[in-house]
Amino acid sequence: MYLFVEQLVNGWAIGSLYALFGIGFGLVFSTLGILNAAHGTYASWAAIIGYYAVVWYGVPFPVAIVCGVFGGGIIAILVDQLGFQPLRSRRVGLLGAFITSIGFWIILDSLAGFATGQQSLAFPARSYPNALVEIGLIKVSQIQLTIIASLIVVTVGIHLLIQRSRIGAAMRAVGWNDLAAGLSGVNSRIVILLTAFLAGATSGLAGVLGGIATNNVHFSLGEGLMLKGFAAVVVGGFNDVRGTAIAGIMLGIIEVFVAQYISTAFRDGVTYTLLLGFLILRPRGLFGSASFVRA
Amino acid sequence: MEAFLDFWAAYGSTVTFSMVNAFFALSTYAVLSAGVLSFTTVTFAAVGGFLAANMVGNFGLSIYAAFFLSAVGGGLASAIVATLFLRLESHWMALASLALVLITRVVVLNAPGLTGGVYGKVVPMSISQLDLLILLVVVTFIFYRLHNSWYGLTARAVREDAAVASTIGISPFRTQFIAFIVSGIVGGLGGAAMAFTLQFISPETYFVGMAFTMLASTVLGGSFHWFGPIVGALIFTALPATMQAVVPAIEDVAKGIALVLIMVFLPRGLIDPRAVGLRRAAKLREEREKRAAGENANG
Amino acid sequence: MISRLNFKAAASALAFGIAAMSGPASADPEPGEYKIGFIAEETGPVASAGLSFLHGAELAIEHVNAEGFAGEGVTLRMEKKDSGSDAARSVQALTQFIADRNVIAAACCILSPVAGAMEPVATNAKIPLVLYGATRPGLPKLPYVTSIVVLPGPQEVKMTQMLAEKLQPKTVTYFVNADNDGFQGRFKAAQEVMEKAGIETGGVVNILSNDTDFTAGATQAIGTNPDLIMVWTTQTPAGGIIAALRNRGYTGPISASDVIAPAPMWDRIGEALVGVPFPVSFAAEIAETDEAKAFAEAYQAKYNAVPDNYASQGYTAIRYIAQGLKSLDGKPTREALAQAMAAITDIEPNVYGGLPMRDGQADVQKALIAAWTKEGKIAAWEGN
Repeated sequence: MYLFVEQLVNGWAIGSLYALFGIGFGLVFSTLGILNAAHGTYASWAAIIGYYAVVWYGVPFPVAIVCGVFGGGIIAILVDQLGFQPLRSRRVGLLGAFITSIGFWIILDSLAGFATGQQSLAFPARSYPNALVEIGLIKVSQIQLTIIASLIVVTVGIHLLIQRSRIGAAMRAVGWNDLAAGLSGVNSRIVILLTAFLAGATSGLAGVLGGIATNNVHFSLGEGLMLKGFAAVVVGGFNDVRGTAIAGIMLGIIEVFVAQYISTAFRDGVTYTLLLGFLILRPRGLFGSASFVRA
Repeated sequence: MEAFLDFWAAYGSTVTFSMVNAFFALSTYAVLSAGVLSFTTVTFAAVGGFLAANMVGNFGLSIYAAFFLSAVGGGLASAIVATLFLRLESHWMALASLALVLITRVVVLNAPGLTGGVYGKVVPMSISQLDLLILLVVVTFIFYRLHNSWYGLTARAVREDAAVASTIGISPFRTQFIAFIVSGIVGGLGGAAMAFTLQFISPETYFVGMAFTMLASTVLGGSFHWFGPIVGALIFTALPATMQAVVPAIEDVAKGIALVLIMVFLPRGLIDPRAVGLRRAAKLREEREKRAAGENANG
Repeated sequence: MISRLNFKAAASALAFGIAAMSGPASADPEPGEYKIGFIAEETGPVASAGLSFLHGAELAIEHVNAEGFAGEGVTLRMEKKDSGSDAARSVQALTQFIADRNVIAAACCILSPVAGAMEPVATNAKIPLVLYGATRPGLPKLPYVTSIVVLPGPQEVKMTQMLAEKLQPKTVTYFVNADNDGFQGRFKAAQEVMEKAGIETGGVVNILSNDTDFTAGATQAIGTNPDLIMVWTTQTPAGGIIAALRNRGYTGPISASDVIAPAPMWDRIGEALVGVPFPVSFAAEIAETDEAKAFAEAYQAKYNAVPDNYASQGYTAIRYIAQGLKSLDGKPTREALAQAMAAITDIEPNVYGGLPMRDGQADVQKALIAAWTKEGKIAAWEGN
């Protein structure tokens, strides 16, 4: 029984990482209409930046996270402005931006390999809190609690930002129809920059936390998050961060239990079948709205 | 002559892989030219590849029979996929096809009887460059005929605007269904070609890497004309070998930068019939104006 | 009267010291520079190991040339191409080497599927191809495809027997790669030894090569209350699993495989590795032979790092080719070189203290059982 509950929490923590990453990925897709293959590399780079902040400058844990998060956000802005901005005026649509993003994926992935010396690195054991905490009868590590709490804070924060603030309204407007939004006085340039930054930063947070929790800062770190984060976004519904959060946690828990009680061989199969099932039977996801005009 | 032979010996295999990738690019182009962004070519290729490997390895069929069956297999798979996917709105279809690629690998891994599972599968026969070239020429010829047929016209109409197309009596569903079948057949052939070229296929052979390569090839070469994917496949396959010769340390980075630059400056790809058309129109206009000016001078 | 041949041998003995001791009667190949095509994996999923293989090979080329080992006036040069562990790119690299007439032999491959794709290409083109990293048994095909990889087998069995005797566990729980046949084999061999000794299997936790998060797996394994946990997985997961087990409060014994031997693994995982035994064919710190010590020193001087078991295999691959080349005379051809290499029954010199070749496959029966110490050094493991 304790095993069951402990595994539930483990799944929740893993799923929270998928969700965190997925929120960033989904923001870009629903607001800017870009299916971004390079998104995973933002997470890898955030982890790498956080790692070197600790190793070279000995910064404390929260500062390392902030470094990684900002790093992810700034790389996302750079990619957007260098690669996607020139395409916006030409209306090349989903396809052109996607191919460009593949180019950036190749570039950033390869550079991340050089930055880590092709090795798998890990944050020094004493640089982050990782003691086991006993809650009732189960044991949870501090880093898991950090991950779980991060997702809750980020989800609530971004949800409020999008639903309650003026800039959030502008983001929704651009996502719905950027031309009409521009005509009615929305400064789409600022919306684009903010969205790119938020997306990179959120996925970057997933990257740093994931790199710490798994003792694995590697250039391919983001790729793994990308596949699962993508599934979380689709299942949860693209235009609702709450959906992504819940779907991500769900996927994490399902994965852990499939691996434990059925077979590891089927674990990814279950996730992707769920993903395909949702796309075919309920494309708007668990919580998305039906009127999703411009993806 | 000797220099040429040396060059051919060194880069012959690059040409072979370009031809194989040309099948995948053409398969992607088949659906793209009807307005469908889909990665399912990878799935069709996996069906074709493992089918061919089994037919040759276990049943001792000839390579030609294996190619034929791969085409049929790819076509059947595409019929199923098209039935499921064509109900979806275009962006969701792109995502669903990506999900299908991920599932393909899981299936390949878990069907060791047919695919060798993690061990992969040895293909005991190989295809000659000439045979491959002939096959590619035949397939290209079919694309050429399709391009200039009634179907080609409807496909372009559906791609430009499916709603308008349906008001003039074109069924977008039918057009895109045919596009999928063509894509499946060519994808299956490509999968078999890959199997006979590498002579060893594993779950990694048909995965996301291939999906991205073939789409990048297609768009880079130009997705508005059948010749574009072939050019794109050649360039995209030769790029790493070239970059390795020029900037060996950062060949991948250079490849990525090349891709981004082409997309930013030539978003419609290298082969663009519209650009040719525009140039021709501009030339005509110029001549007409010149003639008009001449007439004015005479009159 | 001194024949010309012996005179030549005497001269080279003066010039190169010990080098000429290895066969004054044999003629040398025609002097000149010969290229070895090295298909490296400097990028891609296993690049961390790929760099060690490459460094070992580069060092071997230096040594062979400095010693004049391959013959008088014979120098080797490495032609390197990066494959990123991709099968198609590897095949293209090999065909480019085949086209270059100065390339006399090639070496490649860490991943077994890639090696599988290379075999027919090398055999058709009749070029000697030495596999330096792929661990699937049965890959070599004489005379052209050979492997100097020390295959798993005897070492694993020896360590498992030691563990069974010294620790006397009642139940053992295993971690194993569901998608790697090599580790499946090692796991099954270990499990057989344990079960023969009457030790129960507490549980088997399957993981996949691309997995990174092992908290759930660790929780599952600890939940089986084992007296020993054996980790039979590839490198990245192995480190993650051991770290996760210790993080989750498991203090019992863990064993692993040679994947945790390289130094970067210590930098990454650190203290959690202390006292975790693993079988390894070569470890610089506990190697005893002069060849091994000289190799380790030279490697340290050149790369400022301790050579790991991958570096030693890269080194061996080149030495093997050089040894084959040395036994030829006149203008060497690829076919003759392949035949000569296939005829070699012992690679000399080697860093293993004996390296027999059987059917084109290195066959090391010796096994070292080692573990990391608190100071971050590798020491022989005695079963404490």
